[in-house]
Amino acid sequence: MTATPLHSPLSTLDSRPLGRIVATERKPNTPHEFHFWTALDSPVGIGTVVRVEGAQAVNGQIPRVYGIVVEGFGYTDLQTPLHDLLGHDGTPASASLAPTQRTEIRLYSAAVQRQLPEEPLQPVPMGQVYLADDNDVAVALRMDGYLKEGSRTGIPVGVYRAGGTDAAIYLDADFLLGPEAAHLNITGVSGLATKTSAIEWIMGSIFAHFPPQKGSVAAVCFNVKGPDLCFIDQPGDIDDADRLLYEKCGVPATPFEHVQYFAPYKSDGFSLNTLRSNDALLHNVSALTWGLREVLQYAEVLLNKDDVDAKADALIDFIRERVVDRDFSDAILGSKHYTVKSFADLEEWFRDLLSALEGKNNEGWRTHHIATIRKVRNRLSNISTRCAGLVTDAGTVSDLPFGSFQDRTVYVIDVASLEEDAQDLIFARVVTKLREHLEKRDLGVNHVIVFVDELNKYAPSDGRETYVRKMLLDLAERGRYLGLVLFSAQQFRSQVHRRVVGNSGTALYGRMDADELATPGYAVLSPAVKTKLATLEKGQLMVRHPHFTQPIFVRFPRPAIMRGRDGAERYPQAADVELEAAVLRGLRTLDPSITLGWVQDAIGLRDDDEVLRARNAALRERPADVKRFFLAQLKPVIAPQTATRAAATALRPAPADDPYGF
Amino acid sequence: MTAATSVQPVVSPPAPRSVARILAELFPDSTAVEGERALELSTAEPTRQISATIIEGHELRARRVFGDPVVGFAAFLDGTQHSIVEMYRAGGVPIVRGRVGAVIRDRRNQRLFTWRHLVEDALYVPRARMREADWDRLAASGITLRDTTDGDVDASEHPLALRDSAIHRVQKDRERIEQQLAEDWCGRENRPLLIDGGISGAEQVARSGCAVGVIKSHRTLYARGDALSVVLALGRAERSSVFVVTSPKRTSVASWYLRIRDGRGREPMWGLARVEVAAPTADREQDIGTRADEVSRWILAEASPVSLPDGRWDKMVYGVRDCEEFLRAIMGT
Repeated sequence: MTATPLHSPLSTLDSRPLGRIVATERKPNTPHEFHFWTALDSPVGIGTVVRVEGAQAVNGQIPRVYGIVVEGFGYTDLQTPLHDLLGHDGTPASASLAPTQRTEIRLYSAAVQRQLPEEPLQPVPMGQVYLADDNDVAVALRMDGYLKEGSRTGIPVGVYRAGGTDAAIYLDADFLLGPEAAHLNITGVSGLATKTSAIEWIMGSIFAHFPPQKGSVAAVCFNVKGPDLCFIDQPGDIDDADRLLYEKCGVPATPFEHVQYFAPYKSDGFSLNTLRSNDALLHNVSALTWGLREVLQYAEVLLNKDDVDAKADALIDFIRERVVDRDFSDAILGSKHYTVKSFADLEEWFRDLLSALEGKNNEGWRTHHIATIRKVRNRLSNISTRCAGLVTDAGTVSDLPFGSFQDRTVYVIDVASLEEDAQDLIFARVVTKLREHLEKRDLGVNHVIVFVDELNKYAPSDGRETYVRKMLLDLAERGRYLGLVLFSAQQFRSQVHRRVVGNSGTALYGRMDADELATPGYAVLSPAVKTKLATLEKGQLMVRHPHFTQPIFVRFPRPAIMRGRDGAERYPQAADVELEAAVLRGLRTLDPSITLGWVQDAIGLRDDDEVLRARNAALRERPADVKRFFLAQLKPVIAPQTATRAAATALRPAPADDPYGF
Repeated sequence: MTAATSVQPVVSPPAPRSVARILAELFPDSTAVEGERALELSTAEPTRQISATIIEGHELRARRVFGDPVVGFAAFLDGTQHSIVEMYRAGGVPIVRGRVGAVIRDRRNQRLFTWRHLVEDALYVPRARMREADWDRLAASGITLRDTTDGDVDASEHPLALRDSAIHRVQKDRERIEQQLAEDWCGRENRPLLIDGGISGAEQVARSGCAVGVIKSHRTLYARGDALSVVLALGRAERSSVFVVTSPKRTSVASWYLRIRDGRGREPMWGLARVEVAAPTADREQDIGTRADEVSRWILAEASPVSLPDGRWDKMVYGVRDCEEFLRAIMGT
């Protein structure tokens, strides 16, 4: 696959000037802004990139200035509307009969993107204005610095279109995925499928263009609503216009090749809690379940400050350090030894401890007051209920493949149907694990993109401090050094913590809400640019990037993947099933020869927990002989034996002289 | 009907400051004049009344222009001039810098484009009142010179009279280039051309069927007595009878007064224009009324858009204002 060469021939573009620079005392040109007029039928509009050719040399070089149109004015020689009224006797209909249109001007203001030579930086000189061609756009946006053959780090983000110019716009991988700058944030109104589509498109573009010398890259996406990301490995419908954009950007118009889905179970413990539960798509869907050990480290996520004061925190630390996964004994508990591995084990430990304390009428144990112990027991025991399906009493663990992440693979974690607590827990633990592994350089890939939608919910600009927000701030501020990159999306950028969006080197804007545009964060944009943002079509974005002095508008193609809604219709969610069917569905992904009859025979009358533990173990280990492995996980059944009847002892005969005999 | 010719490149006459610099170098013993007003602002033509021969009927009377206004004009011609005293030589001899320009603006799809334009610069000097050495130095400078005395050695030596001669000469130059453009148009086109001012100065134009002159200034009135009362009492969309304007040095043309806008409550000549077209031949004289109505409908159609904020907007059509704006832009006056 090859991208369109940067220096393509300019065969079709008109080389005639389309405008002339004008400057007046009231509206002078400056080093950062200039004004020009055009013919009424010129293709210039807000967002058009233009090139100015100066008329006089500076230091022996004719200055060349690149700018982007940020404001437009149109007016006639009419001094006051009253004159027009007078001219038509107050009758609007007669205006259309006027033999002559008044002299009219199209005057544009453009923001300077780049001046060549860059020094001395002077006001934009008088000169002629030309429509920018491919090369001009590359120079204007300073893309020429990172699109050189041999050291190319460009990632296509879309195509800039104006007046016949079709130029692919590239982001610099060093500034998108680190280490120079990193992170990407997209904002826009809901319902236009712009935010998610743009992220999907850019991820595809990154996978296609990420320079090999920079290592490997994977993505972890949290599906937070509906079926948005549930079918990104399935092909979707795109049209010819989209194909042209794909071709222009050198990105294959195909769905993601390598995708792994993860979803917790529902509260029944065996039905996957995801809209991607159709039998036909289960081959790359894995359960996401954690036990006590995985959860206790993130207790802070689930327990708020009222729950966890300093005393409770000390007890939780004690349990984490001294009780969980260790052989624990204590005089007060007698000779009994505890190995706490699951919530069930922990509950037993708490019960025995509290019974012992009550029995001896003790108010405290090892500096912990009995009330604190009761409180912590209550809160921790509650977690498995609040996060049922994700957190298991039994301690069964099914997790992302930390340590063996694959290059160009998307890991989708479907949290759309989970309670907020469970979503927070998943987010906190996954990101922390990613960071830990990236720090140790043993994740399996060098860079990970973490995509979080609805950022204003997880990192709001106001409200209480949460663990998730702290973590997002840390990720935004320090992630780029590790290769941990945040791609985030939200409807209202102004409602997201400033440090999170402020650290996003690249910012994309889809169609914006007028109220949002009225917030101070958009004060740097001209009224015309704001108007354009408020009316952007689907598939259009405004892009800000560290190399771009001014934002630029681009078009991007519809992702070549199945849209969530289409996927949900084509692959309906599987109905809740009995335990046998759930086990069959899971095991069949490993061994298609397994039948329902075999599962029923294997399960017999065993209890549900035991069966699920065996199923989960098989799914985790993925053994070669699935049937044998599964059966080995079940407790052995003692073979039935036929009872033999003992021979009855013969009755002793009654004495002959028995007075009671008959 | 031929297509419009391509637009001429804008002439770049010497900038005013450079002329002043040249004069300062040529005549270091004289001082450049500062703050001088344009001569056009200080000159007024005397008023005159001339009797004219009526060729539509027997007396001058008001006639209603029936029918809706019709868009008839394809182009507009106007010229402008600007003159200023740059320096006085010994004896109060003025050296006047004059700039004249004219343009035809062609109307296509309701918008006006330049068909052709001319701009000329010159120094207007009374040679008879100037030392020959001074004249020679000016001539050697490369600047175009015009002798405002036309070799008349008896010309007045009154500085104001010399100034008036200069401005009249500038005016002649302006008329010359206007006529040049009008002749060019009439030679190439047969689409109607509205000329700001009279058409009788150039015979080819005065006899052309495509040229229509519209005169806004009424320093000369072609009516006396009752006829004058009729003219001044014309209502909107009313015209006078057609008469013939004759002059020994000019070609005779047919003319009539036309009230473009309702002048009630205004001064008598508000909204009043005088129209000139080619005089009919004797055998077509009876048709002149029809022709006057047709041309009047064309002019009435140009009543909008109004030419405000120009002070003469009551009788100036927008196409002429556009010509003036164009010339103002390129001449920097």
